[in-house]
Amino acid sequence: MVLAGLLVVVFWLAMLLLAPLLAPYDPLAQNVRNRLQPPGALHSMGTDELGRDIFSRILHGTLVTLPAGLAVIAFGALIGIVVGALAGYYGGLLDDLLMRITELFMAFPTIILAMALAAALGPSIQNAVLALVIVWWPAYARIVRGLVLDVKHRDYVEAARSAGAGDFYILSRTILPNCLAPALILATLDVGNAILTFAGLSFLGLGSAPEVPEWGRMVSIAIDFFDQWWMWLYPGAVIASLVMAFNFIGDGLRDLLDPRLRGK
Amino acid sequence: MSFQRYLVRRLLLTLPLLLGITVVAFLIANAVPADPINANLPPNQLNNETIVRAFREKWGLDKPPVEQYFVYLGNLLRGDMGRSIKSGEPVLADIAKYLPATIELSTVGIVLGMSLGIFFGVVSAVWRNSPVDYVVRFLSLIGVSFPIFLLALLGLTILHAELRLLPGPGRLGFTASEPPTVTGLFVVDSLLASDFDTLRDALRRLILPGFVLALYLSGIIARITRSSLLEVLGQDYMRTARAKGLNERNVILRHGLSNALIPVVTVIGLMYGNLLVGSVLIERIFAWPGIGQYMFRASTSQDFPAIMGVSMLIAFIYVVVNFVVDLLYYFIDPRIRLA
Repeated sequence: MVLAGLLVVVFWLAMLLLAPLLAPYDPLAQNVRNRLQPPGALHSMGTDELGRDIFSRILHGTLVTLPAGLAVIAFGALIGIVVGALAGYYGGLLDDLLMRITELFMAFPTIILAMALAAALGPSIQNAVLALVIVWWPAYARIVRGLVLDVKHRDYVEAARSAGAGDFYILSRTILPNCLAPALILATLDVGNAILTFAGLSFLGLGSAPEVPEWGRMVSIAIDFFDQWWMWLYPGAVIASLVMAFNFIGDGLRDLLDPRLRGK
Repeated sequence: MSFQRYLVRRLLLTLPLLLGITVVAFLIANAVPADPINANLPPNQLNNETIVRAFREKWGLDKPPVEQYFVYLGNLLRGDMGRSIKSGEPVLADIAKYLPATIELSTVGIVLGMSLGIFFGVVSAVWRNSPVDYVVRFLSLIGVSFPIFLLALLGLTILHAELRLLPGPGRLGFTASEPPTVTGLFVVDSLLASDFDTLRDALRRLILPGFVLALYLSGIIARITRSSLLEVLGQDYMRTARAKGLNERNVILRHGLSNALIPVVTVIGLMYGNLLVGSVLIERIFAWPGIGQYMFRASTSQDFPAIMGVSMLIAFIYVVVNFVVDLLYYFIDPRIRLA
């Protein structure tokens, strides 16, 4: 399962580099006389309402959706780790303050807060990613804080402190390296979810502009052309394959690293 | 701890959170790059001096931000969330109009989703590493990985367009008329009006969107139930229960499942968010006139009063749902009572 997941992810990562070379048509080229063609010899996945080649658009879509999902996780985890580390390490008032803020952000369901933010900032890919980062970091802050609390009284941390190390050194060299593994597992498990949510925002018209080849947006446009199943089935299936692949990998990693599940 | 003390403690934790939500909503509303007057009044009223001045006064826009927030909070406490630009109605009235459709759909979704999820989670844990387990685990992984809009479109194509088994989008067909509004829930209202044709139509139209929502939720619930039950099955008290000579069914359902359900209940409380995500996307595909559809239209037309009203309401409900879940713990988990 993990291997299958890895293969699919590697395949799409390769598409990230090769899409412009492999795409048979320009993803933006319109040909209205050739619109809504079912899959056939010329267009292996058919054409959309403006006669654009769906296969080429899906390949180019890799350049949008995959980096967007990864960026959400990268920035979300980064902010979360910093906030969680500061809260856990310094404790006291700072901890209380940061954790209350974290809880506050967690009270807004992801897509609703993201919709409000994306609407406030204006619909664009960057703003959709920014909106998702804002709703994504609290989970990491909570986890990292818990881990830091657990690690900060260990002997080797005390040893570093008694040797005269400063706060920054202790945090970055002795505490954080011991907290990162669980955060990284969470991140892997989460990439699929981030891609799914990004596609959802995009589906709601809060991501890319309509002409940009983005998978969620392609499905959303296809709702009005419901009978032309190829318009929504292919981009939808691509999202599903990528999300499933990341979930396979994440599940595998967790089973591997959680001793309670091992050997069962 | 007595129930009263537990209740008061939870309440004290919840109130600041509710207040915080209003602050966040206020901050987002004020982060709009546009002028709040442009963002909140319909274009045809922008030249009307009187309306603009009245709006400025009502929301304290000429005052410093901190004071503005308190004006905002004051209006909110009176149930005034402003007027939707698009509909021209008070946001609260709009919400009251659209919310029942969402409640009806999500109730069907969560009840079906919980039943399926817990059932398959238990089956999968009890027959661990059997073919049944693998099938359930694979299906639940599909449930959490498939974009819900894809499931919805597949369902519509196969069950509605091809096989003609189920009706298409909408809460009611063209021939049926809305039952007189009492609760806003068509199933309940048509039952109250003894209008059984409408009832049948409303129920049939709930099946497909409700089921799609349930599939999406049950994937998560099955996975949590399975891992939670697996952990419990390895405990000493399970061996004790078997040693007492209880039959396997009793051991698993009474001793196993009742302990395994604690994390499941937590997740169901937290899943309220997923439920809404699902509803927003499903309502869009099924032309379901609910709060998700309202939020969608508001956010694509920069209807700020509506967006903020809905976000805040939803965050409030979320906090209240989790407050109720916390109270449920008191009854599910005896350790809290003894603490």
